[in-house]
Amino acid sequence: MSTERENILIRLQKIDRRWIYLVLWLVVMFPLIFPFKIKPKPTPPVEQLFNYIDTMPENKALAISVDFTPDTRAELQPMVVALLRHAFAIRRRVGILAISVYGLGLGEEAIQQVTGEFNAHARTHEDSVIYGEDYVFWGWTTPILTVMLGMGERITNVFPVDYYGNRTESLPIMKEIKNYDDIGILITVAASAIPRSWINYAQVQFGVNLSCGITAVSAADFYPYVNSGQFIGMLAGMKGAAEYEQLVRQRMEKNGMEWALRNRGTEAMSSQTAAHLAIMAFIVLGNIAYFATRRKRK
Amino acid sequence: MKRRIPLLIVLITGIFGAVAFFVPNPVIRSADETMRNDVQRIIAAFSLVLGVGSIVQHHLLKIKRKAQFWPYSYITIIALAITAVIGVFGGIDVSRPGLLPTRIGSFSFHIQTIYSNMMVPLAATMFSLLAFFMSSAAYRAFRARNLEATLLLLAAFILMLGAVPLGRMIHKQLPAFAEWILAVPNTASKRGILFGVELGVFATSLKIILGIERGWLGGGK
Amino acid sequence: MLSFILMISLLPPVEVKARDVPNDEGGKMLITWQRSADPAVIGYRVLRQEQGSDEWETLAFVGRLTSRYTDDAVRNRVNYRYQVIACSETESAVSEPSAYAFSLPQWFDTSTLPALLGTVVLSLIFVYFINRAKRDKNLFIRRIAGLDAVEEALGRATEMGRATLYVPGLSSMADVATIASLNILGEVAKKTAQFGTPLIVPVADPIVYTVAREVVKESYTAAGRPDAFHQDIVFFVTDQQFAFAAAVDGIMTRETPATNFLIGMFWAESLILAETGAATGAIQIAGTDAIAQLPFFITACDYTLLGEELYAASAYISREPLLLGAIKGQDYSKVLITILIIIFTILALGFNQPVMNWF
Repeated sequence: MSTERENILIRLQKIDRRWIYLVLWLVVMFPLIFPFKIKPKPTPPVEQLFNYIDTMPENKALAISVDFTPDTRAELQPMVVALLRHAFAIRRRVGILAISVYGLGLGEEAIQQVTGEFNAHARTHEDSVIYGEDYVFWGWTTPILTVMLGMGERITNVFPVDYYGNRTESLPIMKEIKNYDDIGILITVAASAIPRSWINYAQVQFGVNLSCGITAVSAADFYPYVNSGQFIGMLAGMKGAAEYEQLVRQRMEKNGMEWALRNRGTEAMSSQTAAHLAIMAFIVLGNIAYFATRRKRK
Repeated sequence: MKRRIPLLIVLITGIFGAVAFFVPNPVIRSADETMRNDVQRIIAAFSLVLGVGSIVQHHLLKIKRKAQFWPYSYITIIALAITAVIGVFGGIDVSRPGLLPTRIGSFSFHIQTIYSNMMVPLAATMFSLLAFFMSSAAYRAFRARNLEATLLLLAAFILMLGAVPLGRMIHKQLPAFAEWILAVPNTASKRGILFGVELGVFATSLKIILGIERGWLGGGK
Repeated sequence: MLSFILMISLLPPVEVKARDVPNDEGGKMLITWQRSADPAVIGYRVLRQEQGSDEWETLAFVGRLTSRYTDDAVRNRVNYRYQVIACSETESAVSEPSAYAFSLPQWFDTSTLPALLGTVVLSLIFVYFINRAKRDKNLFIRRIAGLDAVEEALGRATEMGRATLYVPGLSSMADVATIASLNILGEVAKKTAQFGTPLIVPVADPIVYTVAREVVKESYTAAGRPDAFHQDIVFFVTDQQFAFAAAVDGIMTRETPATNFLIGMFWAESLILAETGAATGAIQIAGTDAIAQLPFFITACDYTLLGEELYAASAYISREPLLLGAIKGQDYSKVLITILIIIFTILALGFNQPVMNWF
């Protein structure tokens, strides 16, 4: 091997990381400006959760716990939006809470977005999504154990006042949602180990059905719980959010709701795909350079 | 005495916490609830005071000594003070104003604005650094140096391919295989590690309750 | 005559039974019944009567496929009985009332029996080995490379005249990983005091801050250098995850410590910290029980303590017999669990036993 080629290969192995950052930045930016459509095929954990919610009895509510912080908003917020759309599309009651105080703003944002979408298309009172009747935002309280265990007894004791300052006992929806017995499934959308706490306290003590929406990096941690049935399905990362958005879109179209809605998870798939391919290319390049110089050294 | 009282408190509350798991009697449960709700809330509130005190002291010392980069300490303290005052006295948003006016014309700076327009983008920016760091770490470290490293590399490749449409183009079962890697070997190994970790937690908790492990007391005998 | 026949055509539910809900704190009764075979039934109304009263109180209306109801508004030690009325569109049929029953709080939740058994057995194993350690002080623990490297890493920092950075994770004192980390911090602080190496300890929890400060102060005193300790060594930064990561990255870039310890509970910020430290050329020793973060630390750090190695650290470093005995107890508990898994797997797969229903 010529010295020049060997030097290139050695330099390639020790390349300044800023070149890698630049290439990655370009690869992520380009599809955002010139997007190409990617519709991910739903995987079994996502389908399992979707089907469970879709066939939930009418008298059972969906509870969403917004347990993530703003840094993971890009990955997890699309899940909350998709879940709310699904629940409202099939006319199930929804209760939203936040285990972390930072989840309050994120929960509020998702609620405003989805209720705005549904009410903009509503033609009658029945079509509308009304606060206190169709959904309730319980808000946040501390400590975590109070919430997880207290909700098994009486939700109005844990949240005597909702996020907007209303007495929860005065809301019509709270006559139908007293505790976990009235909740068909509780989905914790988190970027930490909070879903495990929900299992340890809420599910072990009260048997409430649980699922989770988590970041892709944590997905591997929670597969054991999906396999054992402790979680009914799972949404993993932005791809999980995109898959759920596809299923919800199909459901809404089936219900005659062919609305042009933004699906941020699906939109980001093109960038994520390009980034995956770029990282794979880096690894291949690095290994080629490694093996070529190793052979020379031998 | 200084160490005996905390050890005694830990012994009693530790055993009581364990007993409350097994005993559903309302007397025990309500005492446990009081411990978890009221006592923990009070401790959490006081700890916040300690934390804020530490930040202020740390940065005031830096300003006093004119340590390296001391002007940034001014920014920290001023930002802390302004956010605290707005948070406590400035209301939540436009529809829920507080004592202090947080609006100049159509420009508002209540806590929700600060949160949505400063906190959220800053935190998201830090989190997005992960993508860059992951790529540089992968480039540097994912070399097939030995059998284990090669297996790791192959598994990572299959999982990444399974997440993109290219994987399905290579082989239609590739995404399912990637899913299988996550659901079976990964789950099995994670369960094994989990057993060890949970046993470790059990052992450490027992040592703390029994007073064998005393590092949390602040060192010393 | 025809209307009389129609009136008695709807069949009432039978075998209405009421009993105390087991394993709870009282105040609940479980009512069960055999559903009416009549296809005209659209649902059941559940009624309750307190002993000594003539009134029947309607509790709920449940669907036609339901055959049980939990009454969660009873008073303990008060006798109640229940009736269930089958309802169709036009008529109803009343069941015989159940026998009187009362609710009581239980003193033991029998569903937690397996957990209690496991707790007792494992505790006995630990206590046995802790006692044995008092007699036999030479219990063996295998080498843990990350802990052996601590002294070497601190020596490097001293030779280069640069600081040592110690991050005890982002969790609170309730997390066992944080407690384990503070034990290691104590030993690291002793060595930095002896060597005269500057130590930087940024903390993400106010309570951990106070404990860490005491640990470091105590270590400096034990090393005979109380004068070298100052308040600035340990400081609280923020409890916000990525704000903390940004602050520590800033410290790494400005102070360029020669040695970084990332030991405790970490989340997504782990790679941000580890990669920045790698970029500054520091030697890095990491340790966490957060399984999701282990791959990042293994990739970016020189040494990594995996899961239980972190908990074993205090025993490993101090070599205290009681702590070593507890590690032994852990290991033998794992052996026991492995044996039980094998036995139950053989029973379930080879002999078709319903082992999942045994607990």
